[in-house]
Amino acid sequence: MGSKGLLLLKGVAPPKKQSNYIFNYTRTRSSSWSSKTPIFRECSTTTATTSSLEPPDVPRLAETARISLSPHEVDEFAPKIRQVIDWFGQLQAVDLNSVDPAIRADNETENLRDDSPETFENREAMIAAIPSYEEPYIKVPKVLNKE
Amino acid sequence: MASTLFRTIQTHSFMLYPTTLLRRSNGVFYCTMKSTHSQTATQEKQQIRVTPQNQQNKAKTLDKIAKDYEAIIGIETHVQLSTLTKAFCGCPYNYGSQPNTSICPICMGLPGALPVLNSKVIESAVKLGLALNCKLSLNSKFDRKQYFYPDLPKGYQISQFDIPIATGGYLDVDLPIEFGGGHRRFGITRVHMEEDAGKLLHSEDGDYSQVDLNRAGVPLLEIVSEPDMRTGVEAAEYAAELQRLVRYLGVSNGNMQEGSLRCDVNVSIRPVGQLEFGTKVEIKNLNSFSSINRAIDFEIARQALLYSQGQGDQIVQETRLWEEGAQKTITMRKKEGLSDYRYFPEPDLPEVILSAEYINSISSSLPELPEMKRQRYEKMGLSMQDVLFLANDMNVAQFFDATIAKGADVKLAANWIMGDIAAYMKNEKLSINEIKLSSEELAELIASIKSSTISGKIGKEILFELMAKGGTVKRIIEERDLVQIVDPSEIEKMVNKVLSENPKQLEQYRGGKTKLQGFFAGQVMKISKGKANPGLLNKILIEKLNAKS
Repeated sequence: MGSKGLLLLKGVAPPKKQSNYIFNYTRTRSSSWSSKTPIFRECSTTTATTSSLEPPDVPRLAETARISLSPHEVDEFAPKIRQVIDWFGQLQAVDLNSVDPAIRADNETENLRDDSPETFENREAMIAAIPSYEEPYIKVPKVLNKE
Repeated sequence: MASTLFRTIQTHSFMLYPTTLLRRSNGVFYCTMKSTHSQTATQEKQQIRVTPQNQQNKAKTLDKIAKDYEAIIGIETHVQLSTLTKAFCGCPYNYGSQPNTSICPICMGLPGALPVLNSKVIESAVKLGLALNCKLSLNSKFDRKQYFYPDLPKGYQISQFDIPIATGGYLDVDLPIEFGGGHRRFGITRVHMEEDAGKLLHSEDGDYSQVDLNRAGVPLLEIVSEPDMRTGVEAAEYAAELQRLVRYLGVSNGNMQEGSLRCDVNVSIRPVGQLEFGTKVEIKNLNSFSSINRAIDFEIARQALLYSQGQGDQIVQETRLWEEGAQKTITMRKKEGLSDYRYFPEPDLPEVILSAEYINSISSSLPELPEMKRQRYEKMGLSMQDVLFLANDMNVAQFFDATIAKGADVKLAANWIMGDIAAYMKNEKLSINEIKLSSEELAELIASIKSSTISGKIGKEILFELMAKGGTVKRIIEERDLVQIVDPSEIEKMVNKVLSENPKQLEQYRGGKTKLQGFFAGQVMKISKGKANPGLLNKILIEKLNAKS
């Protein structure tokens, strides 16, 4: 159950070849409104200089996901998580030199909704499911600082 | 009439500052003596500052220090859209509703719920992007910004990280006359769509807090400016212009008090001539345009003082809160390290695709924006003061445009609107659309005065009735028999009558008391029921008074 959270990895980095595309490319299929400027894409993850992926920092992952792990569990999970990463790492073998990066993988239509109000009909059930509800507020422990 | 300078007609938090308060350094030291909860311009103007000599010297030194440094200011603004429903679900949003009454599984982040984007959000984003002269990304996406906080039900905020919907624009701003005027262009780095979090209230004593999720999921547009502002005044006017813009576009009501327009300011200073930027400090909790102005001035002075004392390293990158009461910035608890938001593309939402047709249709539906209006009014020959006033509120500008469209003289229409009409609206707390005066009747009134059908004074009376009760100029003139008397022989008759009825005053006048001319004029006005044309009246009166001597 906690494994889903642990899949958010810090160390996933694109291979060397692909990094060229990330920082400077012009899109042929769909360009921005002013077609002359290239789009610069900022990566939120670090780029690795080697071709292998960084091993996961399990304690840090657990911290950011707010999951407590005992040292024993850290040792137990680290190789398993690493295996999952390396399994995805097979994708690095693909040659992407002539491929434009895609923004998203799907080709769905836009799926938009009209701006017309709809009241949810079972508010009571939602409120009843709140662990600590003090009419009309949801009661939570005091947290002063974000993160 | 136009001497009372009304900056706006609707409640507006931007205040007028007398120029003496402008010297940044003075603002720092004298702030504590100001009455802190006064928010009206008149109260500020009436403050008397008593300063001992050494404080004045200190202020002078600060002034000098501040001149050696250049301030670099950038602003991040969040605009809450006035859509009927939230960004990703159909819950309505109404400011001030009972807590937790406008919620559903989607905005509460309950398991299994999926977001569906409100089409109006894209429309608003495109409108704003175009109005800010940005490049629109024909393809953009949503990302998850992940962090834990009680008012964030999903544990992440749906936002746009690396591919925002609009980038690289600018905003043209006219600084208010009372601050020296001038034109500025500030760059806009990006505009992106995101959702708001709920409201978190901390209990006074207790170790608990309270969450209201009515606001969770409300659409926001975040506007990030280039660090182009250099003074508190410029920053405040940038924010005011953004407010004007979103109101003109109809995408938001831009109320800082309600929280539909929120500004966070980033301030750093560097010695004049240095290329590197100094350490950047973020300031939050700014609730009005004047707070923006004062907070920035305070922060610039604070940083300059530290630098000049060789303590520049005490300026750290942090977030400070502006305390309206104490009129200063204070440190929030320092964060350890930068936040790692672990951005990744929102898997539950498809790409946002804009077609050229869509953009063009929105572009052609944009109203005349404030800057365009100001330029047009300037070309009409109005003074900058008039221009800034008339273009500030879209409804006022519309009223003005309608009035002159019916042929009214531009300057006269401006004077009436800025003077008597604005005063009435302020007293009665009405907007220009709520007063009973119509633009047609204002045009009619101006024409009637111009053609000397009625005098200016009578015109003012009629105006009052029109604003309060409506009706037409023509009917009021008829009903109350207000047509001006311009027939010289008629006036002469009245003058003769007054002179003959007041022999004592006449003698006094002849004896040298020339001030009595006013007395005679008043008497003639009285018997003419205010209808005598003042110019003619005085001309004939003087003739008569001087003739018989």
